[in-house]
Amino acid sequence: MKPSSLLSSIHPATEPDTLAFLERAEIDASTRGPVLLFFGSAVFWLLFGSVLGLLAAWKMTHPGLLDSLGFLTFGRIRPAHLNSVIYGWASQAGIGTGIWLMARLSRVSLMHTKLLVSAAIFWNLGVLVGVLGILAGDSRSIEWLEFPGYATPILFVAYACIGVWAVIIFRFRKPGHIYVSQWYLLAAFLWFPWMYATANILLVWQPIQGSAQGAVNWWFAHNILGLWFTPIGLASAYYLIPKVIGRPIHSYYLSILGFWTLALFSNWSGMHHLIGGPFPAWMISTSVVASVMMFIPVVTVAINYHMTMSGHFEALKWSPTLRFTVFGALAYTVVSLQGISMAIPSVNTLTHFTDYTIGHAHLGLYGFFSMMMFGAIYYIVPRLVGWEWPSATMIRWHFWLVAIGILLMVGSLTVGGILQGVALYDPTVSFRSSLDFATPFRWLRGISGVLLLAGHLVFASLFVLMLLKAGPRREGPALLATPAENPSQTTAA
Amino acid sequence: MNKLPIIFVGILVAFTSAWLGLVVYTYIALGHLQTVPDEDTGGNFPPSLSGLGVAGQRVYAANGCIYCHSQQVRPAPLSTDIEKGLGPRRTVPRDYLRFQPVFLGTMRTGPDLTNIGLRQTEANWLHRHLYDARSVTEWSIEPSHRFLYKLQQIQGQPSEDAVQGLTGPHAPPSGFEVVPTDDAKALVAYLLSLKRNYPLPEAPLPPVKK
Amino acid sequence: MTAGLILILGGLVFLSGSALAAFCWATKRGQFRNLREAALTIFDRDEPPGTPTDRFPPRK
Repeated sequence: MKPSSLLSSIHPATEPDTLAFLERAEIDASTRGPVLLFFGSAVFWLLFGSVLGLLAAWKMTHPGLLDSLGFLTFGRIRPAHLNSVIYGWASQAGIGTGIWLMARLSRVSLMHTKLLVSAAIFWNLGVLVGVLGILAGDSRSIEWLEFPGYATPILFVAYACIGVWAVIIFRFRKPGHIYVSQWYLLAAFLWFPWMYATANILLVWQPIQGSAQGAVNWWFAHNILGLWFTPIGLASAYYLIPKVIGRPIHSYYLSILGFWTLALFSNWSGMHHLIGGPFPAWMISTSVVASVMMFIPVVTVAINYHMTMSGHFEALKWSPTLRFTVFGALAYTVVSLQGISMAIPSVNTLTHFTDYTIGHAHLGLYGFFSMMMFGAIYYIVPRLVGWEWPSATMIRWHFWLVAIGILLMVGSLTVGGILQGVALYDPTVSFRSSLDFATPFRWLRGISGVLLLAGHLVFASLFVLMLLKAGPRREGPALLATPAENPSQTTAA
Repeated sequence: MNKLPIIFVGILVAFTSAWLGLVVYTYIALGHLQTVPDEDTGGNFPPSLSGLGVAGQRVYAANGCIYCHSQQVRPAPLSTDIEKGLGPRRTVPRDYLRFQPVFLGTMRTGPDLTNIGLRQTEANWLHRHLYDARSVTEWSIEPSHRFLYKLQQIQGQPSEDAVQGLTGPHAPPSGFEVVPTDDAKALVAYLLSLKRNYPLPEAPLPPVKK
Repeated sequence: MTAGLILILGGLVFLSGSALAAFCWATKRGQFRNLREAALTIFDRDEPPGTPTDRFPPRK
């Protein structure tokens, strides 16, 4: 690692902890440009995607809403929402977090910043072209891959830059232990292009014949969840939870076990989205088995986070990052156990094709991943710009609006979905029954969307104010409140 | 800690060998899927799609019909799809050979469409439903696709293609008619082709009960 | 269907295989030897264990 000009200009008698602070601050500062670019773009797409999502939700309870124009029809708004939030918000928040974490964990300042900046520009261009393409009527209607063929190569170019960068920074890391978060991030960054390329080739460029397309489609879509978003979310939590409370992970051994079992089992489980469908029985059965085996990594992670947090739950009062991250961690456990249950055929009989699945999807991508990303952004940005968030009140509003919003959304869709599923299964009732059961819960979901959008507006405002230097200045190494300032804070070994 | 690699190798080998055994065996058994000849007509099962139907798939994809409609009939006892009249038999991989892309779908906000061509044989009914679903089925939440239609003044004689029997708030005022665009015609042709009531060796039709 | 099966299952074997390969690499490099120390890598002299590193911003 090249000695930084700042460090080399320091008096040799400087305190070692000041040196450590400066080294870390230097690394953080080197990531500022690309990370803020990714985060800023992500926040834009969060707002855009939330508006689309709200529109889609209200169109289900008010089908006549804005229905005269083709580009606003539900069948286009819905995939535009999905792709905006997955590739626009979630992936970019994840990449930004990943860049910062990789730099910190490799303990080197960022190299090849221009590569990452180009990546961010191309990525946003790709998402913009793709979303507008969907609204214009070029959606491929392949779930999670709806972007038309002229948008995906742009994303792929962007991604290639990121993948290359990740390998380089890992290669030039400082020697020593590779922290578990880095394992997760490397895995995510290396597997994503393989999955994305395979799926695009087999479904878009040289499509395979027949119902096997469904198999490829859901192998891809599930892997995006299990091998792209999950590792990034877990990497973030494994770093931030111990870092915020100042206590190492309870059992590093368990964290390793969790990582390897995730790597082994997750990618076999995708066919559980297609139970009962036109596929050979062995494909479905093996996915069911792999889904149940996922119990191991999920419980491992849950135990680890809980035991690390044990005795420190009051930290949730004074750390915004911890609030969001722990919420996300709890959601991860719940959604994964829920997902495992949904893979069991007898349960699947009632939940397949219903709003229950939609509730589950939002619990995962929002309750788990997005909340983790909020936590990460709250921790990272002050360390990049050198000043604090401008308003604790706004942070609290953000948290409560979205926490209540997502709980309302998931709760209403879960209950509504089960009732819908029971009606769909019952041979003595008409199709209309399933609709009648689902409708009141879709109304509640529509309200939850308003809460979520409100929370995002607060967050976006905070982000903009942050960029405009509206917050109080961050002081040097003692940038934390001393126990006297924050009486509820405890320090623990 | 030294034992950990052995455990992992053991898990991987056990899992992979089961997979390989199943894969190799079934790959030989499954082979390459081809159509099956139909003795009665000299055609093939599944039947090929008309040109208009192929174009209709693009309209189906462009407007996101999959987000509310599935196209798969699951077997009993896992489901009651057949009992509820979604089709005479379950769907199998060969049923989807002619379609590109394959719209299996994952939601039943609206009814499954695997055999919509059996339940609705009249193009006009489908046009009315696409134009304004609630004028046909008052509880439906299907969005109106009237952007796929043209409202035009009747020039002398009404057009042959005009959609008949439209009612409701978007019904054409007198002197006007609603005519489907090519996209709407293609979509309806595609929907009318959706019927899987032919037998296949791996999915015979159940005997007709009297 | 054929090309698809090969690619998907090949992809699955590749992903699992790379997981296993990375695991063996890690074991050889001694990544699993001192776990207690490994858990402490995220701390340093300025942010040692026992020091919380986050808070709500102060009121102005």
